[in-house]
Amino acid sequence: MSTDDFDVTAVTLKATTYGVISFLVLFNLVVLAFIFSVSFMPPSEFFGAPHIIPQNPTLDAWTSGFEELQDNLVNSFLIGLGTTVVALAISIPGAYAFARKEFYGKRAGFYAIISAMMFPYILLVIPIMDLWNDLGLYNTIPGMIIAYQVFVTPFAIWILRDFFAKLPTDIEEAAQVYGCTQFTAFLRVILPLATPGIVAVGFLAFLTGWNDFLFANLLTTGTGPVPAVPVLYGTIGGGSGERVYWGKLMAETLIIGTPPTILYLVARNYLENAFTV
Amino acid sequence: MTALEDATTEETDQTADATDSVASSETDSSDSSGGHIRLEGVRKTFDGGDIVACDDVNISMDGGEFVVLVGPSGCGKTTTLRCIAGLEEPDGGRIVVDGEDITGLKSKDRDLAFVFQSIALFPHMSVRKNIRFGLDMKTDLSKAEKRERVESAAETLGLEETLDRKPAALSGGQQQRVSLGRAMVMEPAAFLLDEPFSALDANLRDHMRVEVKKIQRRLETAMVFVTHDQEEAMTLGDKIVVMNDGYVQQIGTPYEIYNEPANRFVADFIGSPSPNLVECTVERTASGVTFASDFCRIPATDEQAAAVQDGQTVVYGIRPEYLSMRDDGGQFTARLDVVEPLGDRDAIHLTSGDTSLSAVTPQGEVSRDRNEVSVAMQTDEAWLFDEHGERIV
Repeated sequence: MSTDDFDVTAVTLKATTYGVISFLVLFNLVVLAFIFSVSFMPPSEFFGAPHIIPQNPTLDAWTSGFEELQDNLVNSFLIGLGTTVVALAISIPGAYAFARKEFYGKRAGFYAIISAMMFPYILLVIPIMDLWNDLGLYNTIPGMIIAYQVFVTPFAIWILRDFFAKLPTDIEEAAQVYGCTQFTAFLRVILPLATPGIVAVGFLAFLTGWNDFLFANLLTTGTGPVPAVPVLYGTIGGGSGERVYWGKLMAETLIIGTPPTILYLVARNYLENAFTV
Repeated sequence: MTALEDATTEETDQTADATDSVASSETDSSDSSGGHIRLEGVRKTFDGGDIVACDDVNISMDGGEFVVLVGPSGCGKTTTLRCIAGLEEPDGGRIVVDGEDITGLKSKDRDLAFVFQSIALFPHMSVRKNIRFGLDMKTDLSKAEKRERVESAAETLGLEETLDRKPAALSGGQQQRVSLGRAMVMEPAAFLLDEPFSALDANLRDHMRVEVKKIQRRLETAMVFVTHDQEEAMTLGDKIVVMNDGYVQQIGTPYEIYNEPANRFVADFIGSPSPNLVECTVERTASGVTFASDFCRIPATDEQAAAVQDGQTVVYGIRPEYLSMRDDGGQFTARLDVVEPLGDRDAIHLTSGDTSLSAVTPQGEVSRDRNEVSVAMQTDEAWLFDEHGERIV
């Protein structure tokens, strides 16, 4: 290679790019490595001098963490799944109507739905608690699922509306000419083409149901269907200032983080399609 | 549906369910009795009546006929076609196919196949599934019959190799063929094609044009073809419907439209280069009737003379091929601006007075070096239009 080809700007740019990327990757990896390693340490070790390789690896944190979380993980899963199903059931037809149909108050309706997203939803906790109490939804899984719709569906409708609007109307008309009703054209042609958007929205809905802490903590009591995340809060000591069992905390963090990760890996191709423009 | 059944002459009894209006279309049979489409006073407006897309459209199309709707963009031709297909609901008028009023029917219940300008294939389905789509949705044919129809259409269109690919893997021409195949397998009463080749490049377009015409001849199925290209209309149509501003201007064979335009718009729209249209005043004197323009006086033929009054303003129209260049003895002289070779002919652009004229002559007949030519008109081929553009003679 001749030295004439040496381009200072290009090399600097490249070096900077890789520098920034390495920093960001390390920033995440180091933390993750510590979480991972601490989860295998006995208390005597993680309260000692920080080090990365456990000297006396133990599965205690994992077994006790898993035992504690078992039932709550099931609750989380049901809430996540329910949130997804209900959100899709509402937002697919809703988004399609906003994308393709003409009706009175369409614009106003759409912006009203979107503005619901701008609400800091901690404001909603008190009225929802009150209302759910009256309706018998407080401290129930359906109650949680419905509560999450307040901020999941606007977002879902927003994303899916753009998705449906981008699909050419000709394709739908072609389906109708060749034997579909508007509804079967929707099922056979529009839905399959909107799959990336639907998967993405479903994934985000599941994440909300799975990861949320505020509603999960405030709409359930210890006797009810508590999801996994509030239990994690309990492990930190609920802010009581007691000694924190870091090993268990890390193990539980990893346990709670695993299902969404797997789901992400499964849905990855769709998600990339959904968010590339 | 009953009307269809009456006309049905199934040569095979493979159609299990004879009451299925779609499957029992008679287009396979050798007589071209199906596909009579009649539009009666069809009107369609948009934006609550503010925009009139088409109005008072009356067209009668015979079975097996190749009808072309032609006009400038926005003239209502596509809207008319979409009304026939059921993709738009007319505000008024009736659409009758083979004696059955289908005006209120949904598109899926009409025995018509539509080919879209945008091709509109289903991107998530293989070519095979795309072509079979209508059969799957509309008919009860057995798998074997569907396969046979799909494969025979694919063979006609040269798509055998692509059947298991997705549309995105095909070229534009192949995609439009798939779209034709999707229509062909339906064996519909009529094909409706909305500028199907406008997305293709020129060579491919010519090629597809010939292919479509051949297919239409072979299937003997009515075809309604929309285009803005008057040349395409002339080459394809058995019958041409010229539209402008939402109204039908003239309906006729390509020769009728070309030779005897009903009004100034049709005269101007059809033919390339455009005909010469010159505003004249009628002068009736003892020696006869002449049309006086700013650059010449043209004697009227007997027929023309009988149809006009003294002092009337008319538009004198004549096709470029009826202007001939002479060394002398023409009706007027004109400046030679440009000679444009068109192959076996040359288009000659002239200016006389303030008026631009064009003529078509055999190749090389007029030298480019000349500045001025003497022009003679074959006056018995001229048209006269009144001040509203309506044809007088």
